[in-house]
Amino acid sequence: MADTKESIIPAKRIDGYTDRISVAPGERIRFMVSCQGVARYRADIVRLIHGDLNPAGPGFKEAEIASTVSGEYPGRNQPVRPGSHIEIDDARAMLNLSGAFSLHAFIMPTTPQAGRQGIVTRWRRDRAAGYALVLDESGRLALWLGDASGKSEKVAVEGGFIPWTWYSVGASYDPQTGIAIVARQAVVNSANSLIGRVAAPGQSAVAQKPLGRLEVSADAPFVIAGYAAGGPGARTVVEAHFNGKIEAPRVYSRALDASEFEALARGVEPDPRGLAARWDFAAEIGANGVPTDVISDRSGNGLNGRCVNMPARAMTGHGWTAREENYVHAPAQYGAIHFHDDDLEDAGWDADFEWAVPAGTKSDVYAVRLRGEGVERRVPFFIRPPRGTASARVAFLAPTASYMAYANFRISVEADVGQAILGQTPVLNPDDLYLAEHPEYGLSLYDLHSDMSGVCYSSRLRPILNMAPSFLGANGLWGLPADLDLVDWLNARGYQYDVVTDEDLHREGLALLRPYKVIVTGTHPEYWSGAMLDAMEEYLATGGRLMYLGGNGFYWVTTYHPEKPHLIEVRRGESGSRAWQARPGEYYHSTTGERGGLWRNRGRAPQKLVGVGFSAQGFDESSYYRRMSDSFDERVRFIFEGVGRDELVGNFGLVGGGAAGSEIDRYDLTLGTPPGAMLLAASEGHSDNYPHVVEEIMFMYPGVGGTQDPAVRADMVYFTTPGGGAVFSTGSISWCGSLSHNNYENNVSRITANVLERFMSDQPMK
Amino acid sequence: MAESQSASHADKSLEVLAHWNGRMREKLRHLVTDELIAEHARDPLGQHSDALERVLNYLRRAPQPGKYAVLCTDPYREYRIVVLAGARGQSARFLDERRFSTEKEALHAVFLERLKELRRG
Repeated sequence: MADTKESIIPAKRIDGYTDRISVAPGERIRFMVSCQGVARYRADIVRLIHGDLNPAGPGFKEAEIASTVSGEYPGRNQPVRPGSHIEIDDARAMLNLSGAFSLHAFIMPTTPQAGRQGIVTRWRRDRAAGYALVLDESGRLALWLGDASGKSEKVAVEGGFIPWTWYSVGASYDPQTGIAIVARQAVVNSANSLIGRVAAPGQSAVAQKPLGRLEVSADAPFVIAGYAAGGPGARTVVEAHFNGKIEAPRVYSRALDASEFEALARGVEPDPRGLAARWDFAAEIGANGVPTDVISDRSGNGLNGRCVNMPARAMTGHGWTAREENYVHAPAQYGAIHFHDDDLEDAGWDADFEWAVPAGTKSDVYAVRLRGEGVERRVPFFIRPPRGTASARVAFLAPTASYMAYANFRISVEADVGQAILGQTPVLNPDDLYLAEHPEYGLSLYDLHSDMSGVCYSSRLRPILNMAPSFLGANGLWGLPADLDLVDWLNARGYQYDVVTDEDLHREGLALLRPYKVIVTGTHPEYWSGAMLDAMEEYLATGGRLMYLGGNGFYWVTTYHPEKPHLIEVRRGESGSRAWQARPGEYYHSTTGERGGLWRNRGRAPQKLVGVGFSAQGFDESSYYRRMSDSFDERVRFIFEGVGRDELVGNFGLVGGGAAGSEIDRYDLTLGTPPGAMLLAASEGHSDNYPHVVEEIMFMYPGVGGTQDPAVRADMVYFTTPGGGAVFSTGSISWCGSLSHNNYENNVSRITANVLERFMSDQPMK
Repeated sequence: MAESQSASHADKSLEVLAHWNGRMREKLRHLVTDELIAEHARDPLGQHSDALERVLNYLRRAPQPGKYAVLCTDPYREYRIVVLAGARGQSARFLDERRFSTEKEALHAVFLERLKELRRG
């Protein structure tokens, strides 16, 4: 008998996030917490050592740290308000128009049938007062008017919108005549919309209606891409978010007639009389992109605004012709902003407490542990050594950009092909299903917005449920929990290490790495900014040493917002294991102006840096490495000290049962593996659930799975670099999952230790 | 094409997909034997016979609404089958009261449920 009413999601919850992900002793970190059904909770700082609860492994390990944070706190619920829009700063109420007025914009609605959506509004829903150009509940273009007495009117143009298609939309009202006009006209060229001109998207449609006299002045905020729930307050609550693009919205303090709207649709400027505001979303585009929330009014009235929740800028406008793909070169064709009802930059919670990290606190992986009424949550962060110093010879580079890219990853729950990618039915945990129920915690860079466009920004100012020490995702141990396998091993073997993050490396570059003898990566350092790559390349080219103990690293062009360290951007280009693909003309990052996509398509294949690069992925089972002839060379004797000639390496482990698996990388001279690099070992025996990566498939043919394609393998590679440096790469996500096997006594552990100890020494590699 | 009709513009390829699904399911039903089921029970993961891979490749790519998944209700100790809503914001539900003590048992139980549906049509 099915008990399908039984609730899967526990009613009580504690969630949290921090204001920074990396903090140095002497600095402060703030903690934002929200509770459901938990009246009080206890908070403590813990040092994270190991997270995976697998009984075959080391089990959960953490160490409580005495801190000023420890104590009881009242639980409170803090809402999250997703959805992007623009708020206009109209301190002088210039747009509080009580006489005639007109509104106009170009729009590309992507979910026109999804219910009410504000386009250009000065409206408050609670009193139905003000004016608003909207998509109504039937998907029609409508003008809403409401006065202070509670009298309101609505005028709509019959017919709906074709999704992903550009339109000119406008409305006007003249209280003298009482006439309201609403006008819609498709503005389709050969490239700008989903459909082309042959689909005949329709002629202009105009509704004209006598309404009598209404005075629409109201105490309401001016909003683009939504409307206000109520009046102005400390934080405007906006609802009815618009999905799709808006370009060049404007307001007139006179009533335009139908012919003037038609002229606007053709790009002809009407008589400028009464122009109250004209926003140009391309105005901020510069040589380094458009990394700003600022919106400029070009009317001369100074009615500037700001974006909320990071709608996508640098998006093709209605005038895009497909001749130019770099918006920096053709800003006039990129005057659109793409808004989403599920964009989220900042959950905006108030802080519950903060911690001044005392001088002398060890650099490591930490979390605040929150416990109350049987509910527990750990919110991780990293303590780096004091700025400008190093306290160990080894630094673990925590791949925080990758953690952010995967933040609240939903593929295994939402994507039809999720199970096919995994090569198995997903094994979920309750937080996966909580995320499925609760879109408001925001999306990962793998997910799609509600209008099916790809998510190109990720922020860490929100609860990130899968960045937790024991989170076991459908694709197995992943991200932070997998990287704790390495942290645990460093602890178990007694190695001293510092922890630094991607964010630190991006900001500080080579200076961060220089003091260390060895940098050790995590299991999946996939997302790299140009500044991070530059620093690592310079470090390695001048004597630095790197142990790349992961798979599919150094892969996606990633940019940090120059003014928002909590925000990264990824525009997925035309190849790669990419979840979604940016729309034509939208491959360039808004935050820097750089072209997005795979680094290999910008001349920086991972092989050039670390000898190996992404070759296959699969999540059913992992395999082992077989030693190759280079591994018997005298120069690498130190690596295989204590490993038998015929031993298989890593034919055991907690991630898929082997050290070679999940995502695996290959040596390839044609992709820039240094010519002298030594190929020490290669994995074999992968299943067909490991297909050869798509960026290397030039023609379609069968037999590209692990049982038939020789490129489906992980290669272990070693090479020296100028100045006595060296690189050791294992090219496999699951490598670190084998470190703890047999109480850390195994050939994966031995090889890792052999390399680490040699790399830690002052003696140059040769 | 008038805009007023846009909401009713059905995707005609759904008809083709329905035909394809019918043909595919018929072919796959013939591949399901006791030996094939036993092979999956031995190990739901990794490389299987070509026949089992064909069946699994089809089942894994089904649309999300109503699709089965395994929920780990107690890490490494207890697993249950859930039915995914397939739409963001909606809840998944438990399929039944069965609890499995290993991931592999749960994965095989999902496979058997899917075969039941495959046999129905």
